[in-house]
Formats: sequence, structure tokens, C-alpha cells
Amino acid sequence: MTGLAEFLDELVADVDAVFLFSPGTSRYESLSEEANVVVVSPDNDVDAESFVELPLEFDDLTERVRFGIEGAVENGYVEDQAEIACVAEVFDDGLDTVTRVRADQFEQSGVYDLFANSRAEPSVIRDVLEVVVELGKKGQKGKPVGALFVVGDAGKVMNKSRPLSYNPFEKSHVHVGDPIVNVMLKEFSRLDGAFVISDGGKIVSAYRYLEPAAEGVDIPKGLGARHMAAGAITRDTTAIAIVLSESDGMVRAFKSGELVLELDPEEY
Amino acid sequence: MQLDVVEPLRDALSEDVAFTLAITILVAGVFAAYAVWRWTGEAFRRTGLDEVVEGTTFERTAQRFNTSTKGVVAFLFAASVYGLAVLLAFNLVEVLEVDVFWPRVAELLPQVMIAIFAIIIGLILGDKAHLYVQERLRSVKLPEASVLPDLVKYSIFYIAALIALAQIGVATTALIVLLAAYAFGIVLLGAVALKDLLAAGAAGLYLLFTEPYVIGDEVRIDERRGIVQEVDIFVTRVEANGEEYIIPNQRVFQSGIVRIRDSE
Repeated sequence: MTGLAEFLDELVADVDAVFLFSPGTSRYESLSEEANVVVVSPDNDVDAESFVELPLEFDDLTERVRFGIEGAVENGYVEDQAEIACVAEVFDDGLDTVTRVRADQFEQSGVYDLFANSRAEPSVIRDVLEVVVELGKKGQKGKPVGALFVVGDAGKVMNKSRPLSYNPFEKSHVHVGDPIVNVMLKEFSRLDGAFVISDGGKIVSAYRYLEPAAEGVDIPKGLGARHMAAGAITRDTTAIAIVLSESDGMVRAFKSGELVLELDPEEY
Repeated sequence: MQLDVVEPLRDALSEDVAFTLAITILVAGVFAAYAVWRWTGEAFRRTGLDEVVEGTTFERTAQRFNTSTKGVVAFLFAASVYGLAVLLAFNLVEVLEVDVFWPRVAELLPQVMIAIFAIIIGLILGDKAHLYVQERLRSVKLPEASVLPDLVKYSIFYIAALIALAQIGVATTALIVLLAAYAFGIVLLGAVALKDLLAAGAAGLYLLFTEPYVIGDEVRIDERRGIVQEVDIFVTRVEANGEEYIIPNQRVFQSGIVRIRDSE
């Protein structure tokens, strides 16, 4: 077994920082004595100084690591050339995995930026993303549906769009994350047009036809009109857009006219 | 009380029969007490009180004496049932100076029980409130804020002690005056401190119910013109050219609001 132990020693030799995913208090304390530990998890249970909040339970380790690195670099916890050892949980059985990665291994995708530096509150974005992922998994009555949510900067978005029909959310005060809302949004997802959600999570309107200027929007070719509209509205306003594709079932997020996040609902 | 029932019964029975009856009552009392003890444990488990008291100081103290909150409460119930049986039996056979002594005990017993329960419930409630407030304030990284949970906890302890003392007939007038002064202080300070928030909240309720303007409307409040981005219960956010005005809702009422239609 010495060979394996040696290999592990080599793996973690000279790292600049340790990323701890789903930490326990004792583990955190013993590690933080000798290394620069960054905690990446949904809650800061251990009161770590360097902490990156994980807004989603990324099942894929690569996505989790990518998010953690982008967050840590953004917050200045590590240099963007740093060598990082990641200690994570993959098989639901406590910390069971160690990987080594360079911080500049990934192209900056802006996924951390999407959550942390958007107008809307991170919890609102997370709630919307959760609704969309669930919608993508189950569809509407078993059939795949498409949907477009524009989150944040609602006043401006409303001024750059027009109603396709009566707004079902008029005079209502529902917020994403309210318990009944998932069902409601699922029912309304058969309507055409976009959902508009404010910074604080209030569902302002459904049935909106977005009318942004589409010039200069750079999104991958092959995506449909819904994605184009999403990309364009985020270029024109400071909102972000989350799209569920009807044709391939993927969830994509746009910010400033660019695709920043692409995930498969089936993996969550 | 039950003693009135016993009196004619005693007169009607011979001494031997009374003695046998008393023994029977004592034995039945043991079973009844046991049944009550079991039943309390069961009730605790069913209503989920078990989890509620989990981890409170009272529970931990009880555990140090090799029992639990459930055990203490069940024991109290059982003891009172058995005490009642003993009382009844003694009364039947006239062992002691029953007429003078026992009625007083019979009167005091329920009061003491209630007092003890008030203390137990107060201790648990205080602890729970402490935890709850602490949890809510966890995100507020302010050392001064840690006084609040303790304040809540001891306030509840104080009220529980007051109820218990009043129950067993100790003069508590001075303590109640103190409590009144304390409550008055809190209400007064609260009213002064929260005056603006209350005004904003009241105005906010009106705005939320009637929606004179909604997100996306262009409005002017006090020379500030822009697009409404968010209306919540306390403030309205209006944005114009990258400047976001956060306007307390009572301003909307005091100075009115101009909705701008057809700016084109």
C-alpha cells in the first residue's frame, strides 16, 4: 500500500490551497491549521473565512470544482495560477475523493459571476433554476416544454416587451420559491412568451413578448428563437435569462448576451 | 372536593369494610399511576414533544439525573394520581387528623403541580426561544446582537417563575409591577424606534393591495423620475439612468406619486 500512499502524497504536494466540499467542522479545523482552505458548499456551517456558496447541488464533480474555482478566484482567495487540491464527496459517503487541478485549467465560463454578480439575489436565481430544471425533467404532462425566464431588472424588461395576452400574474404577489409556485409555473409554461421575474423574486408577468434589439448577440448557431430572444434581452438590460430548450431539453443561462451556463436537467 | 363524597360513604360502612376498601384503593392507585405514567410517555412520543424538548438545558439536566423531561413529567403525573389514591384511602380509614390536615393538602397539591409545570414549560420554552432567535440572528455578525437571545430567554424564565409563584400563593405584586415596567419600556422604545417602519409598512400594505403603480411603470416621486423596479412592504425602488432610488413607502403617501404615461 505504500505505493498508493506515496502517490497520494505526491498528488497533494505543494498545493497552494485546499478546496473542501461539504466539510465537517473537525475536518475543517485540522486542515486549516496547515493549509489555505477554501470551503465550497451550500452553507457555511464551519464559519470558514474563505467561503464560496454553492447555489446548486452540482452532481458532476467537474462542474462543482469549476464553480468553486471561479468563486475563489473572483473573491481573491487564490491566484488564478494556483495549484489546488480538491477534497470532495462523490458517493454520498462523506469525503471520498481527492483531485488536483490548476485554477486556470478552465476557461472562465462566468457561472459564478452569474450567481454572485447579477442584479437579482442569488437565492432567486437558484429558485428559478430549480423550477426550470424540474420542468425540464418532467415536462408538462409528460411532454417536453420550452420556457424562458427573465430574472432581474424587471422594470426595464417590462418596458422592452409587450403583453401577448392578459397577464395571469397581475395583482398577484407570488414569488419564486413559494411552495405552490412550482406547480403554477408548470401550468403556465404552456403559454407562449417569457416569464418576467423581479430582483426580489416577484413574478411580475407571464406571456411577455420580448422586443430587444438583437444585433450583436453572439450565441451558438443552431439555437432557436427563444434562445435568441433570451440572449438579446440580457444584452439590452442587466437581467439574466434562463431558458429551457424545447428541442433538446437543455437548460441554458444567458448574461450580457452570452451563454454562461449549460446543464442537462436529467443530471440533477 | 372528593372528600365530601367520602364522608357519607365512611359513615355507611363498617370499619372492616372501610379498611379493605382503602387497601383496594391503594392497590388500584398503583395501577392507575402506572397507567398514567405509561400513557404520558406514549403521548410524548405521539405528539412529537420528544423532539421538541431535545437538546434543551432542562432535558440535559434531567439526563444528568438519569431521566428525561418525559420521565419527569410522567413521574409528576403518576405521583399526583398515587397521592390522590393515598389521600382517599387515608381519609376512608381515618388514620390521621384528616379533617384538619388533608383538605389543605388536597387544595395545595394541584397548585404545586401547576407551578411545577409552569416552571418546566417556562424553562423549555425559554430555551427554545433562545435557540430560535439565535438561529435567526446567525447571519448578523454583530457581537451586540448576541444579547438578544439571552434577553428573550430570561424574560420567558421570569414570566414562568412569576406564574409559578402566583400559583402557590406567594405575594408577587412587586414582581408584576417590575414586569409591567419592563413590558412598557419595550413597547415604548419599540414604538419610538419602529415609528417610520410602521408608517412605511402601512403605506406598503396599501400599495401592495391596490397597486396604483406596478413594476415597469414610469413614475415621479419628489422630483425623482424613473422606472419602478420593485415594490415591497417597506420601500419602492425606482431606477433611472443607472441610479436606483430606494424610497420609503410613506414618502409615496406624503408627497404623492406621478405616473408618467406615454413618455414618447
